[in-house]
Amino acid sequence: MRFTIFQESRKGSRKVNQDRLAYTYSRDTLMLVIADGMGGHAGGEIAAQIAVRLFIERFQQEAKPVLKNPLKFLQDTMLRAHAALGSYANQFSMLETPRTTCVCCIVQAGHAYWAHDGDSRLYLFRQGGLIGATKDHSKVQYLVDQGIIGVEEVIDHPDRNKIFSCLGGLVDPVIDLSRRTPLRNGDIVVMCTDGLWAVLDQKEMATWLTSTPILKTAPQMMMEGEKRGGPDGDNLSAIVVRWGPETLTDEPSTTITETLGLGEFETQIDQTLTLTDRKGAQRDLTDDEIEHAIQEIQSTIQKYRR
Amino acid sequence: MAVTNQALVGGYQLLNYRVDRQISRGGFSIVYRAFDETGAPVAIKEYLPSSLVLRTEGDIVRASSAENLTSFRYGMKCFFEEGRALAKINHPNVVRVLNFFRANETVYMVMRYERGRTLQQQIQMRQDQMSERLVRHVFMHLLNGLREVHTHKLLHLDIKPANIYLRTDGTPVLLDFGAARQTLTSARPKLAPMYTPGFAAPEQYREPDRLGPWTDVYGVGASMFACLAAFAPQAADARVQEDHLVSAKKIWAGQYSENILEVIDWCLRLDPLERPQSVFALQKAIRDIPQTKRKLTFMGNLKKMLFSQIGA
Repeated sequence: MRFTIFQESRKGSRKVNQDRLAYTYSRDTLMLVIADGMGGHAGGEIAAQIAVRLFIERFQQEAKPVLKNPLKFLQDTMLRAHAALGSYANQFSMLETPRTTCVCCIVQAGHAYWAHDGDSRLYLFRQGGLIGATKDHSKVQYLVDQGIIGVEEVIDHPDRNKIFSCLGGLVDPVIDLSRRTPLRNGDIVVMCTDGLWAVLDQKEMATWLTSTPILKTAPQMMMEGEKRGGPDGDNLSAIVVRWGPETLTDEPSTTITETLGLGEFETQIDQTLTLTDRKGAQRDLTDDEIEHAIQEIQSTIQKYRR
Repeated sequence: MAVTNQALVGGYQLLNYRVDRQISRGGFSIVYRAFDETGAPVAIKEYLPSSLVLRTEGDIVRASSAENLTSFRYGMKCFFEEGRALAKINHPNVVRVLNFFRANETVYMVMRYERGRTLQQQIQMRQDQMSERLVRHVFMHLLNGLREVHTHKLLHLDIKPANIYLRTDGTPVLLDFGAARQTLTSARPKLAPMYTPGFAAPEQYREPDRLGPWTDVYGVGASMFACLAAFAPQAADARVQEDHLVSAKKIWAGQYSENILEVIDWCLRLDPLERPQSVFALQKAIRDIPQTKRKLTFMGNLKKMLFSQIGA
């Protein structure tokens, strides 16, 4: 697999950042996950953390190096995260279960699969146009669907933050699963929390991220998002993936997963990769990774020896 | 460049291989002839990007700065890709990897040693034009190897006479899968490659998303062209701006069969979709060429002219 990836979370004007995000990949499968812990509820931060950790752990157990059934994995893990939040609350005798939104995307064999609960979003752009997106489990989205309000009214609507489903809620979560969606080189997957999409609509995002290297513009986009959030700005987080080899030839940024051995994973949790942190983006091979790669090549040579 | 990487000296013992001499040096590596413990010759490719100047003396490779170390390790990924790609392929017309190991703080790929010379040398050495028979012989075999490569979902991406080795018996071997390093085009200038002008297809310059078997087909066409012309066709990026390439059919009319010239022109189409879409399609086209030149009669010529007039 080849892709360019960016992730960043900014606190905005809040005291704490309740967003959690991570990506991890095996040689053949990539997983992206974002959770936005719900403020106003006890331990939103904890909830987001638990959900993201659980996704990573399950992924690393199941993706060896591919997931048998990505959509089933997404559904199961969402449900397990929901259950885990319940038992966490029990364990610590919390009055209220910690809650979080969650959106997770799997890319495997050139296809994307995603699932979400709540109002953290995924957009899939192809050549600047939106070809896939999640639909929020929110009151305003419901109002839009019913034709009661227009799309443009969502941003300013007083109930814009009200969501009717999340992980850790009283009722079972509503989990929307995507179709199996083929990706083409150059496709851009954006996952983000409401702190970003509330201040930057999808058209603007497409403009930011299309036709310029994402590692250059995505950090600028995040900065702009935080600026627009102003003094009441929410936490904002995004993971941006540009699928396929880099076509814009000024960034040494393509992640190549073939150097990972079987059963190996590379994971980045909450780690910001920006222009100032370029070295992290094109991480060095470790000695272990070199040994693994050599072992794998040697065993392939043996296998194909006549 | 004032400082260059020091090659390993003759007689140097590299694991169980004894280095004999340097065979060639490229931007990313040095290739040595060496002997294994049985005394059989092998070719050993040492990963050593020349732009990073990592060994000025002795054998241990050291990055000259932390930044260079990053670039060095990054480029190593690509060297692994080449190894990984080749390890899977066991075909008489594709260079065979025998071993892969780490030493001297860098990595080495051991390949079967082949005797002969590159097609490039062959072209340069010949005074007269290459015969159609030889061109056909070389490329039919080479395409068998390339087909095997494509079967493994790999693209060579740097097919040119310098990467086609002719054994002393005349059979070709496809060499240097370093263009698995295409990934490095997006890298910092320090490790910048390397598409060979004249042999690289236009999509390699501008549209990496459109790479496919047809991209290697362009390189094959350009290499065939070079066999006839003894020089490379006009570089594809320049052709896109202003195409000065004269068709093979025009240049060598009467000297080679019409159909082999047509095949060359077909491979060299700028639009990837207009080229043979697979090696198989190309092989089929070459096979279908009647060996004997068909002489057009006066009437035949006239007929053809009229048809082309009507067609236009």
